[in-house]
Amino acid sequence: MSWAGPEDIYLSTSLASYLDKKLLVLLRDGRKLLGILRSFDQFANAVLEEACERVIVGELYCDIPLGLYIIRGENVVLIGELDLEKEELPPHMTRVSAAEIKRAQKAEREASDLKGTMRKRMEFLDLD
Amino acid sequence: MLFFSYFKDLVGREVTVELKNDLAIRGTLHSVDQYLNIKLENTRVVDQDKYPHMLSVRNCFIRGSVVRYVQLPPEGVDIELLHDATRREARGG
Repeated sequence: MSWAGPEDIYLSTSLASYLDKKLLVLLRDGRKLLGILRSFDQFANAVLEEACERVIVGELYCDIPLGLYIIRGENVVLIGELDLEKEELPPHMTRVSAAEIKRAQKAEREASDLKGTMRKRMEFLDLD
Repeated sequence: MLFFSYFKDLVGREVTVELKNDLAIRGTLHSVDQYLNIKLENTRVVDQDKYPHMLSVRNCFIRGSVVRYVQLPPEGVDIELLHDATRREARGG
């Protein structure tokens, strides 16, 4: 076996072309991590430097710094290269503090829980 | 190996990949590997408003294990060819 030459990297599915670039990693639990790809393997295990989690609740967002992260490949859904020319998020979204986003997240979770229990109570109506 | 070869022939075509988390991404098929991992170029998310974080993603790698469907261009599907290849593979040739 031989190592792929630099020109092959750009033709293959290898993550090598994403090395040292700022990426968005989508995980199976819905989390969105941003960071610089420093290492990877054939399972899509990946090392992200300066990783942060982007929490989005409605129109609000916050980047929570995490440090150096090693992601187990099976949790990876998608790895996207960020276009540095383009805005990362639509202009109508507002950046808020970590405390604020946590509060918004909690409120959202409570609202959806409430919806769930209401639905359960109405189940006898056979809505679907 | 049949579908791997099949997807390799589709490189350069416009496809829509629907993931198990319901995210659907349209883009040009850049490459595919034995796990059916997929790399797309010039991507756009079908329901952009629902996924604002995908706005600035132009190229992406999708892990094969999270793909539900790949929607192909109609002219990229040759049923006859697939049919023959399937039989050949089943015979072990």
